[in-house]
Amino acid sequence: MATVTNWIDHLSAKEVVGAVYPGAGSSETLLVVLGIVLWIGWHVLTGNSESEKLAKQARKRRGGNDYKSNITDW
Amino acid sequence: MTDQLGALTTIFTEFYYWVTVVLMFLIHVGFCMYEVGASRYKHHQHTLMKNTMLIPLVTVTWFFFGWWIYWAFPTGPGIAPSIMNESAALITDESTFSAKWYLANSEFMAINLGDHISGVFWAAFLLFSWTAASIVSGAIIERITTFAFGILAIAIGSCFWVIDAAWGWHFDGWMLKILGYHDAYASGVIHAIAGGFALGVLMVLGPRIGKFSSSGEPRNIGPRNPWLVTVGLFLIYTGFWGFYAACNIPIFDLGPEYGMEGVTYWTATNIYVTPTTLSGITFNFLMSLSGGLLAGYWIAKGDPFWTYSSGLAGVICASAGNDLYHPIQAMIIGMIGVVIAYKLHYWVERKFKIDDAVGAVAVHGYAGFVGLVICGFVLNGYPSSGYSVGAMWDGSTYASINPLGQFLGAIIMFVVLGLIPGYVIAKILSAFGKLRIPREVEIAGLDYEMMEDDKEAEKAVSSSTR
Repeated sequence: MATVTNWIDHLSAKEVVGAVYPGAGSSETLLVVLGIVLWIGWHVLTGNSESEKLAKQARKRRGGNDYKSNITDW
Repeated sequence: MTDQLGALTTIFTEFYYWVTVVLMFLIHVGFCMYEVGASRYKHHQHTLMKNTMLIPLVTVTWFFFGWWIYWAFPTGPGIAPSIMNESAALITDESTFSAKWYLANSEFMAINLGDHISGVFWAAFLLFSWTAASIVSGAIIERITTFAFGILAIAIGSCFWVIDAAWGWHFDGWMLKILGYHDAYASGVIHAIAGGFALGVLMVLGPRIGKFSSSGEPRNIGPRNPWLVTVGLFLIYTGFWGFYAACNIPIFDLGPEYGMEGVTYWTATNIYVTPTTLSGITFNFLMSLSGGLLAGYWIAKGDPFWTYSSGLAGVICASAGNDLYHPIQAMIIGMIGVVIAYKLHYWVERKFKIDDAVGAVAVHGYAGFVGLVICGFVLNGYPSSGYSVGAMWDGSTYASINPLGQFLGAIIMFVVLGLIPGYVIAKILSAFGKLRIPREVEIAGLDYEMMEDDKEAEKAVSSSTR
């Protein structure tokens, strides 16, 4: 996985290769796909949990000043 | 880098942009404080989280596609040919500034020993993106779902503002060539578009419960914590220094760039690669800020919320031409922008029942729009670019700055890329029932359950003996 195993060899090459991260040249597209899956997945998970939470809260029909009894002293 | 002077120039430029990013981070700190200060107690934590989560959402999408859009779209596509490859198609070829290098899977979108600039330049633009999304965030507090805001933040932060940046900010942008568009420090490119987008969302979202009486009279809600608002706006001012610096190229030899044989002219330039100085824009930044504060204090009769916001509106209004204005011109333009934005805010609120909780549409949208129009008159005849200057509608050369081009540019920013997309996306979210929180939750407070849990915890702790 390591792209660089010896800095002296790497920097004294005729053309120094700039990309030095692990998997350079072979893993980028896979990483992008993984990143997009995580991003979309985050929306799905948090969107669903927010909808459930809001629906549950809405059923309790609290008044506009009820929150005042929950103000903490600390 | 093999010679020391070249290395110093490159690493200076790299460090310069890095510093602007750190400074601009304060804009977001300021927006968070400002919004929480403007919201009511029962909505505080939700308001903070909503604005905070735009950071990762806009960042990852900016990495996946936002940055690519900036480099691909200067030609429209199909509106004016690129000066790099003479094609009006998307710029995805092998040329130096092609979007090809900024695909998310490009080797330049990572640590690369041969590229010291892409990452910091990407980040500087990303911080502009956060700002665009954060402007929208303030207007819609206390009644939007976090899910909907996340989608809207991505739309404005990683898509629509960057299309306008490609069109009107990129040195190869078609709006420069055809309209002579000039917007050095983003009156329109960031502020007018974000204000327009916020207005489009607000038209669908509706006002907070209680904002308007049964007879339609608007009521004042907050700000709950004026001190948090004060510090927040001071931090936004501070971050704005970084914003101005990030809109410049710190060191550039214009002689060879413009094809001037035998001429060497090292200078700082604005985003359009025309000469300016960091020193000169410092005059104008402070004078337009002062103009805004003076006018805001007068028109709002000393109201602190509007006076602080007016300082910002003053800078925003003068920003389009602050690379060239005289400082007193900048001050007067800032004053004009504030008066118009303030008056328009209350007129729109009364007439159309628009509840813009923090005045974002006015401070950013109206002031930015007015700033673009004024710039067209004051800078009429200046070249919009250092490259070959031609006539309006030509398309292959660059038109000079002019009032009509600036007015059309303002319409494109505020309405075409701002208001319309904001309205349409909000309509779609609303149709799926995802835009607005339930009425009962809005009345009780978004933080109700968190506060209830805290109260229970407090009771448990205070009654414990060990």
